[in-house]
Amino acid sequence: MITLHEVGKKWQGEWVLRDVSLEISQGEYIGLIGPGGSGKTLLIKLMTGLVHPDAGTVTVDGQNLADLDARGKEALRFRMGMLFQNFALFDFMTVAENLAFPLRQAGELEEAEIAGRIQTALGEIGLSHAAERYPIELSGGMKKRVSFARAVIRRPPLLFYDDPTAGLDPVTSAKIFQLLTTIRESGDTTAVTAGHDLRGIRRLCDRVAMVGDGSIVHTGTIGEFDDCRREPVASFWEASRAEGWG
Amino acid sequence: MTRDGPDNEHPPPRGTPGWGQFIGDVGRRALEFGRLVRENVELLGLTLRYMVNGRRRRGRIAEQMYDIGNRSMLFIAVTLGFLGMILIFQAGYQAERITGDLQMLGPLFLQLLFREFGPTITALMVATRGGTGMAAQLGTMVVTEQIDALRMSAAQPVDYLVVPRFLASAVMLPVLTVFGILVSFAAGAVTANLAFNVNYYTFVDIGMIESFDIVIGSVKAIAYGLVIPIVACHAGLSVSGGSAGVGRATTDAVVRCSLSVVFLDFLISGIGYVFMAL
Repeated sequence: MITLHEVGKKWQGEWVLRDVSLEISQGEYIGLIGPGGSGKTLLIKLMTGLVHPDAGTVTVDGQNLADLDARGKEALRFRMGMLFQNFALFDFMTVAENLAFPLRQAGELEEAEIAGRIQTALGEIGLSHAAERYPIELSGGMKKRVSFARAVIRRPPLLFYDDPTAGLDPVTSAKIFQLLTTIRESGDTTAVTAGHDLRGIRRLCDRVAMVGDGSIVHTGTIGEFDDCRREPVASFWEASRAEGWG
Repeated sequence: MTRDGPDNEHPPPRGTPGWGQFIGDVGRRALEFGRLVRENVELLGLTLRYMVNGRRRRGRIAEQMYDIGNRSMLFIAVTLGFLGMILIFQAGYQAERITGDLQMLGPLFLQLLFREFGPTITALMVATRGGTGMAAQLGTMVVTEQIDALRMSAAQPVDYLVVPRFLASAVMLPVLTVFGILVSFAAGAVTANLAFNVNYYTFVDIGMIESFDIVIGSVKAIAYGLVIPIVACHAGLSVSGGSAGVGRATTDAVVRCSLSVVFLDFLISGIGYVFMAL
């Protein structure tokens, strides 16, 4: 479903990602782990076409993103949803308007149906009371839940979760991962989840890819990561466990 | 200092900045300016394309019209009102000293307002208030990934954010210009009456206004209305580097918008007078 072939990306003249190859099959849930600044978010942005690679190709649903014009990307993104690390809620819209936006963009539903879908989504994330609030009036955990609801409200088959529990307390983190697991169980979706929360990633993902030094240093199942003694995988895995994330 | 080794306190001259560096700097700035112009023209092209092919967003356009138009009215009234008072006082004072004839004060002032001060000062005020607002809002949306979120919702940022501002500004700038001219002329009339005893009937004389003045004023107002949102939105959408970048974009927006207005003023006036002479 998603293929990265020898992808590279430069930042201010330096290669920050180099020679990254990865295949994600339909229905697969893959976790991207690695130290902060290793390029997990950049990889997700490359997969969504928000950032263009300086080398290699990114293919989604058999379409090379470099060959798509703005309309082509727009059409592809109707099949995508993304939970942003820093929420990225539209600050000039209320919670309900934030959720309605992707639905209105699709133009497939009547206003009454959109309202119904929003009510259901708000109920699922436990924020029915906050429909008319603006993002600035919400806590971090609430914003994350709204951002999650906006990502999945169109029920897209391809989901990207960029550090879904960054900066959240353990209870809220568990709630967020519960929501992600519910989505996984409710339909045929494929997801890429970047983050540090190995406990959540263990529960959600089939496979993990570790990013480090601008490339993918190891991929495998959770069991294979448990058994891996190769550096830097072993140290990262152990350190995460010691921090209570694994 | 050692006899043979290098002297750290008095290093040998490395070559003072000379013509080479100067020409290099000028060249770099020229290239940067060229890139800016090209990007702004590209944004204008994209905006015009989405005006034809994009989604219809009447609510967004109305919001922007309110923001650019209604919310600028007080600012423009105060600025152009005071400008009218000052100009009339200075002009009246000089005219009284030299000729003593104040009959032409009102008609000449009105012609000046139509041709020059009305559209240009209004545009500079809109650039200061509206242009900076656009750059700051779009810049903040860039650094908080809201632009990426728009794209992920299958919306085109230029279609959703730039087109409504472009249309709203194109409509509201001429409206604000007319409003500014009225306020400034009224303030001038009161000043002329109080300071120089000029009769209101004498002051309010539209006899000197020709169709050329109205055409040139309208062309200027519309041109400024089209350029300000493009320049400001470009500054906002080009932000990088967090909140400091938003600050830089806001400053860039007001500087570039003001320079564009002044340049367009020069260009349109020049073309206008050439045509008038023919």
